[in-house]
Amino acid sequence: MTLDPIKPAFDPVTLAIPLFVITIVGEIILGRLRKAKAAYEPRDTATSLMMGLGSNIAGLLTGAVVIAAVVGVWQFRIFDIPMTAWWAWVAIFFLEDLTYYWFHRLSHERRFWWASHVNHHSSQHYNLATALRQTWTGGIAGTWLLWLPLALIGFPPAMIAIQKGISLVYQYWIHTEAIGKMPRWFEAVFNTPSHHRVHHARNPRYLDANYAGILIIWDKLFGTFIPETDEEPPRYGLVKNLGDFNILRVAFHEWIGIGKDLMTARSPREVLGYLFGPPGWSPDGSRETSKTLKAKWLARQEAAKEPAPPLAAE
Amino acid sequence: MNAIVIQLLGSAVAVAAMVGIAAWARIPRPCPALDEAAAREILAVEYPDHPVGAVWLAADGAGAIARSGDLALVIGRLGDSWVSRDLPWDRALASEIRGGRVRIRTADSGAPRLDLAVSGVNPWPPEHERDLAA
Repeated sequence: MTLDPIKPAFDPVTLAIPLFVITIVGEIILGRLRKAKAAYEPRDTATSLMMGLGSNIAGLLTGAVVIAAVVGVWQFRIFDIPMTAWWAWVAIFFLEDLTYYWFHRLSHERRFWWASHVNHHSSQHYNLATALRQTWTGGIAGTWLLWLPLALIGFPPAMIAIQKGISLVYQYWIHTEAIGKMPRWFEAVFNTPSHHRVHHARNPRYLDANYAGILIIWDKLFGTFIPETDEEPPRYGLVKNLGDFNILRVAFHEWIGIGKDLMTARSPREVLGYLFGPPGWSPDGSRETSKTLKAKWLARQEAAKEPAPPLAAE
Repeated sequence: MNAIVIQLLGSAVAVAAMVGIAAWARIPRPCPALDEAAAREILAVEYPDHPVGAVWLAADGAGAIARSGDLALVIGRLGDSWVSRDLPWDRALASEIRGGRVRIRTADSGAPRLDLAVSGVNPWPPEHERDLAA
């Protein structure tokens, strides 16, 4: 059997579109019947779904450049990896998922890439429609460059595209409050609704955690895993939530924020900080980053633990 | 090319249908009008390090403004959720009032348009501003 190494034989995301529609409708109906935990606000839902539609269109505009780059790099591949070998699929499953972890971590911890990814976190809801709130500016942000080493190793472009699609489809079903916890063994190995609720939470204790795509093991390996706790349910959205449902604001607000900040930058250090510092970075430290928010939360926790000072003796 | 256009049109129809079903289902989160206790609860979550003084409530309960030192802490309803922003207290006091609403604006690019209903019972700026002093 031969498979075209350039053009994917199928696109997992396109194939999954009917599944997306059926399961979103199913989640809404289960929520309506009070059979599952699900909240939908129509304008929020419209924003999420239109962001997903727009992301497809944006992908068409930048897709040719991305494909050309992957194919170009693949011409210089180190190994010839056959698409028909089972071990090749096992290898790309792990390597693509590891790549995704670092892509995702970069997309949260550095503002330039956060500007592209922030839209996915801009809903205060957490439902299957939220999963489709995808970026419009990923092609411009250039995070796709992180997948080029897979082509350089020798994985055919079609194989990379298929595995990326499989990962995206996997991550769809974990955007739900309808599922509590999966069996313990599953929670230990795979990304789950519980782990990903933490990732979408804006509570300081949960910030910058659980970047996994399919396997949660990367977070455990690299120290970014935080479990969901019953004592503090996740609150979803951004540290500073958006003020309306305008899809243009959702798509571009952080880019505009970067532009405004760069206009005020007074040194190369400030330019670099505004572009590649953590989201919330400012020259004088007057704004909040995830790190400062977590530090303040920890300080409050410590203060709450400390016993009250004894009353002064009369 | 035709296949792409058909796929996008099909997706657009599916989006409209799903939004329609979400509207029909009427399953937003409960988001009742604010009273002072509810406003304080939200402010405590949004601004845990800011002591909050007296709270001004919008006439329709869809927002609130509280003073914390030199800052005005503002919350407003968005759909079935709440959005918060802070700004200098003086700027909040000087915010434009139009159409029976005080128009709170902040400079950030994701800034909400917080238009909070004012009434004769609870005018803005508050008649007794000192009541709102932290």
